[in-house]
Amino acid sequence: MSKNYDVCVIGSGAGAGPVILELSRAGKSVLVLEKGPWLKEEDFFKDEMACCRRSTYTPNLQDEQHVLEEPTDNGNWISEASSESGWDFWNGNVVGGSSNFMSGYFYRLKPEDFRLRSEFGAIDGANIVDWPISYDELEPYYTKVETEVGISGHVIPHKYQEPRSTKDFPFPPTTEHPIVNKIDSACEELNLTSLPTPRAILSQPANGRKSCEYSGYCGSYGCSSGAKGSSRAALIDQAVKTGHCTVLDNAKVYKLKSDSSGRVVEALYYDQNDKAKSITAKLFVVACQAIETSRLLLASTGPKHPQGLGNNYQQLGKNLLFSAGGSGTGEFHYSKMDRLTASAMKTRGPFVNRGLQDWYFFEDKSFNGKAKGGVIDFLLRHPNPISKAMSVRWNDDDNLNWGEPLKQDLKTVFTGSQDLRFEVFNDWLPTDNCFVSLDNQVKDKWGSAVAKVRLGYHPHDLKVGRFLANKAERVLKQMGATNIRSSVSGSPPANLVAGGCRFGSDIKSSVLDKNCKVHDVDNLFVTDGSFMPTGGSVPYTWTIYANAFRVADKIKTLV
Amino acid sequence: MKNTDKQKINQENALNRRQFVQILAGITASLPSSVIAKSSVFGRNDLQSYEHLQDPWLTLASVQEHLLPANKNSPGARDITALHFLQNLLNAPDTEQEEHDFILQGVNWLNQLSIKHNAQKFNLLDSSSKEKILREIETSRAGSRWLSLMMTYLIEALLSDPVYGGNKNQLGWKWLEHIPGFPTPTVDKVYFKLGAHASPRRVTKA
Repeated sequence: MSKNYDVCVIGSGAGAGPVILELSRAGKSVLVLEKGPWLKEEDFFKDEMACCRRSTYTPNLQDEQHVLEEPTDNGNWISEASSESGWDFWNGNVVGGSSNFMSGYFYRLKPEDFRLRSEFGAIDGANIVDWPISYDELEPYYTKVETEVGISGHVIPHKYQEPRSTKDFPFPPTTEHPIVNKIDSACEELNLTSLPTPRAILSQPANGRKSCEYSGYCGSYGCSSGAKGSSRAALIDQAVKTGHCTVLDNAKVYKLKSDSSGRVVEALYYDQNDKAKSITAKLFVVACQAIETSRLLLASTGPKHPQGLGNNYQQLGKNLLFSAGGSGTGEFHYSKMDRLTASAMKTRGPFVNRGLQDWYFFEDKSFNGKAKGGVIDFLLRHPNPISKAMSVRWNDDDNLNWGEPLKQDLKTVFTGSQDLRFEVFNDWLPTDNCFVSLDNQVKDKWGSAVAKVRLGYHPHDLKVGRFLANKAERVLKQMGATNIRSSVSGSPPANLVAGGCRFGSDIKSSVLDKNCKVHDVDNLFVTDGSFMPTGGSVPYTWTIYANAFRVADKIKTLV
Repeated sequence: MKNTDKQKINQENALNRRQFVQILAGITASLPSSVIAKSSVFGRNDLQSYEHLQDPWLTLASVQEHLLPANKNSPGARDITALHFLQNLLNAPDTEQEEHDFILQGVNWLNQLSIKHNAQKFNLLDSSSKEKILREIETSRAGSRWLSLMMTYLIEALLSDPVYGGNKNQLGWKWLEHIPGFPTPTVDKVYFKLGAHASPRRVTKA
């Protein structure tokens, strides 16, 4: 007879880590079922082949994939399996999930983000609603994440600074790249407030973790020093030390079995040998990242839930969110600089922790007055050399570039300039055209239906994105950059995903209640980004961590 | 960081499987089975010796050297041992048999065309004849796909960590003034010995 755990957590990323840690600390027996392997600090290297050229931390698309539905120009939908298109929607199937590979730009939402509908009204074709909780209810948990996960930063007062219960961050900012001075000067000249971007990266050793070693490669890479605040390094490692937490890796949950009363009684999974197994627990927590969470619940039919757990009102998988916006680049050519400046600009290692929130909210004629904007973050072009070289693989005539012309282009792209990029984050409005369902043809290697994702976007997202990208381009111009360009599109960044199980007070329009428990299942919680009814215009990870700590406090009172 | 760059890379690299099957169907006729058989050289360094190469490696090395020629200021394909990288990666456990076969089959295809036009195999041609023939095969879909794959492996050989067999003595990084990160991968933890490819059996309980 296998053990009956107090809590079974499915998934181990940012939405899972806080629950795993808090329940373990409270002395509850916690079992974590993670689909991927348990890689540790000693398994992570600055290896572009591993991080970015091959599927090392994600499944082979022949084994496990998605079916992606995109809009066509004439208003139809075209769907394609990702094994055919190569558009990989996995983000990190390892213990700690994709938080291992994040860049760790950490932003809180603003109080207004919790009541977007009340503040800015309805937009045709968008399902905007207020949240069932306020910023004040989440604030203590945002603060908790600063110390538990480890956020470095510095608070500078500005017009859209969200309220804080502490004065400043527990860790000072990470070391900064010399280009930051140029950004700050340009912003000052333009009368903008250049803000230090908080990062989930330790600038000082803490909690048994080392501080950042400034290798210069961060986003997309697993952290070998432990400084990056992944769910694994910051939370799960601590949970295991309590003696109450068991992590089962290479364990793929395919169904939650529920009984005639509607309660979940068992998690069914395949082990590392593809053998079907099951475990029982008093309470279950699902945090597989938005798409896979909706997929698992849709597949988990039962006597009281014939259309999937929590789907008696057809809300499951609906209102999926990504991050809208885009990105841009400007070049700073070394040939136009003196030797010392060029040498400083070539520095590799320190961070560009700078962003702008001047247009988080704004008024503009083209938006008929008050509107919701977003944030702009600056960053250096990613140093990955293969990726950089691939950018000159084709010549201007669309032929393959090779021989001496290729070598000249490589020399220029590598040694000619430092490129400063920016990324725009604005709301991906929830619509009826962005949702998860089960595909009725494509199966994974175990025979389960894969998630089918409709990837529609609201045209308003592009309008806001362009507005912000134009502002960011002005900063690059003021800095003296050349060849400035940007791109805003409705193409979703697969790594910034939320929604699908929005929380709310009405079972007819939401999947979860305000405590992220499935409305009509007594012992099932969802703690990843799935709960978000609207996404705010920042990366989600801090909010996911904070909310999972909040829900953990509720779960503690139940088991 | 928004993962849009990664998407682009994956999409560009991905073999559109339907197209691929069509391409293979068109060119596999009458190939000797010795070419199709997977040549296992992984883990061996002796084939780095460029003096004793035989086909398909002789032709592949020749193509690589034409695509990335050495000059007095910068390394070429042979300097960075691009062939060794190609051999290693074609035999990596995650490289699909179809892709492996496609690269090797391209050799016959190229040499048939070379003999037809120039009465000798590709590696014996002068540089301008090589250029002409490669540009000619680039005009077909299969040929363009083959060259594109060769270029991808070549760029990876130039700039990946030397542990994979290319970028010998970090010549690629040094030439392009690239500053690598740290720590760098060890032989026992190259990408195909980790994660999805290795699935280590570990159940850890405190």
